[in-house]
Amino acid sequence: MEITSATQERGTILSVSGRVDTATAPTLEQAINKDIDLGHRRILLNFSGVSYISSGGLRVLLATAKKLKNPDDRFGLSSLSPEVHKILKLAGFTSIFSIYSSEGEALDGW
Amino acid sequence: MTAGNDQLISHQWQPVFGAAESVIFPFIRKIDTISSNSYVIQTPDVILLIDPGGLTEQAENLLDVVGECRSERDRPLFVFLTHAHIDHFIGAQHLPAVASSVSAVFSVQESGADALERGDGMLTQADLLGITQLPMKTGFRLLTRQRADVSGAPVSLAFSNGAEVTVVQDRVGAEPGTELVRERITFGAGPGLEVYHTPGHSPDSICIRFGELLFIGDILFAANPGIAGLRGWSQEDLIRSLAGIHEILMGGGIRFVCPGHGRVIPAQDADRMLSAVRNDALALSNIAELNRERAEDAAAFAEDCMDQVNELFTIMAGRLYYVSYVMDELGEPEIAERMSAQFNGDAIDELLEAFKDFADEHHRHDNVSIHLALKAGQVIARLDRAFRRDELARLIDPSFVQRASRLLSDYTTMLRGFCPPSDLAVCELTPLVKALVTGLSVSMSSDEEMFASADDDAAFLDMLLARVGTRPLLEEIDLILDAGDEPVSALVDRELFSDLLTYILEELVGTGSHRITMTVERSGNEASVMISADTDSPDEPGARKTWRFLERLCERAGGRLAITDADNLRKFVVTTSYA
Repeated sequence: MEITSATQERGTILSVSGRVDTATAPTLEQAINKDIDLGHRRILLNFSGVSYISSGGLRVLLATAKKLKNPDDRFGLSSLSPEVHKILKLAGFTSIFSIYSSEGEALDGW
Repeated sequence: MTAGNDQLISHQWQPVFGAAESVIFPFIRKIDTISSNSYVIQTPDVILLIDPGGLTEQAENLLDVVGECRSERDRPLFVFLTHAHIDHFIGAQHLPAVASSVSAVFSVQESGADALERGDGMLTQADLLGITQLPMKTGFRLLTRQRADVSGAPVSLAFSNGAEVTVVQDRVGAEPGTELVRERITFGAGPGLEVYHTPGHSPDSICIRFGELLFIGDILFAANPGIAGLRGWSQEDLIRSLAGIHEILMGGGIRFVCPGHGRVIPAQDADRMLSAVRNDALALSNIAELNRERAEDAAAFAEDCMDQVNELFTIMAGRLYYVSYVMDELGEPEIAERMSAQFNGDAIDELLEAFKDFADEHHRHDNVSIHLALKAGQVIARLDRAFRRDELARLIDPSFVQRASRLLSDYTTMLRGFCPPSDLAVCELTPLVKALVTGLSVSMSSDEEMFASADDDAAFLDMLLARVGTRPLLEEIDLILDAGDEPVSALVDRELFSDLLTYILEELVGTGSHRITMTVERSGNEASVMISADTDSPDEPGARKTWRFLERLCERAGGRLAITDADNLRKFVVTTSYA
């Protein structure tokens, strides 16, 4: 799994590629926490390169949603592959945080 | 260093109780399908190597051990095979010091000796495992029909390694149906051994008794999925042999049972395990032979099945975490924690990932199918144990739990050599589809039930948890059902047909469709259900495996499935025979 982080005026985008599984989920969590610790509280995960998410990855998403609950905070995912979208949708996660079709769509609304 | 009274230690010399001046060097491996355990025994007269294993490196290590014994005092070497499956001997095939009948005498039950000598890759499983097996000479044929003619009388044999051996064949077993052919073999003045013909796992399987040890080959695994049904396997023989071994163990004098794979077992525990094997074996009437073709089918089914299992387990875990999240939001952290703990997520993820890694490696090296099929069987058995169905079915949509259970059970059934169940019966499709759609559109508990439970804290909590955990799949979907007024009856398996339609609807909803059309109709001798939806994700990676899984499921449900993607419209048409 690879993660690159880029902070813009409207939020921080973490672009993730590869598999988010038991082995890699802690790395994703650390990367997100690092940005939150820096005071970046509008976080968008661009999952265009993520082909698979395990239950360990889902836990990281929920933990992040719990941390970003203030009225001005934002947390969302964009550019999901059909496989990952299906998991999030059927698990009920799409009602916890926003899913965007693209980075642009997310940041325009933030 | 000697072993304690309650164990045998691998890779160490230790005395064999009940056999004077004899020591054993066990070579115990973690269980796999590549190579067996091996055992080297020294007596004053002879060196015995039981099952040199399937790996050349293992056989070379054993030769070093044998070489050290010989350097202390040279004695003839006999290589006994508990049976001639290649994981028990192929490692020695290219080692002249073992494979040559001059230096070492291969000792194998008569039918196994025949198979080795004609290079019969079907009986030795070399064909199934994709390994080349050369014909091998066996110097000492055990439990021969010829010696049965002189039952009870000693027969003297002389071998190329200089040994002179006395063999007495007889039959043992007090009860009808437990009788085993036995040979008592002595190599000189020191302790000898006894071999018993115990077919079932293979026609040539034997048990070897030496001192207080009983070497049983692979009979402990003989009823396992993916083992039962191998060429030469026999349910009837297996059950008879198990009864005979039980009698040997009950006769006393056996301290440890040494299996072909895995740890050495105290005799009492082994008897209990063998009894469980017998119960499993009794259920295996008329299973299909496990040959290369069936292994390929099983491996393909395994991969499709594991993809769906992976998806279902991840969704179930996600649902529980979602419930946990909502409870946390409602200020119920203890309940939230309890919910998260209901799913053994890390252990399940590790199992699923272990299978994926194995499958990736398998395809990289173009390995034979049976390994993948067996690995899937192993992972599915573990998932089955870690899966808390009853608790989960109360908390989340039971359809996920039921379908995951069915997949696990279907794969095990197939690997055992049976067809997964399919119960075709005449069924009215319109009411079936309507009931399914209704079930997927409304909450499992009504508002009235919620209100009614409000006075009872525990009942309200249960209701709330179930309500959060069971979100109707179609609640935000614009679904048009066109079923017409004519009854449309078809020959289908009702449960599998419902599963199929649920998987299809989940696929469409999960990949972002908001408007779905379902049509039930009859055309001539056929009845069909068509499900279509707009989609912006044609040909996504992984879809083909899902389609293959759905096509197989549809066949079992009594129909055939056509999937098309055109102009951003994905269409699934399930066609069955009109009944």
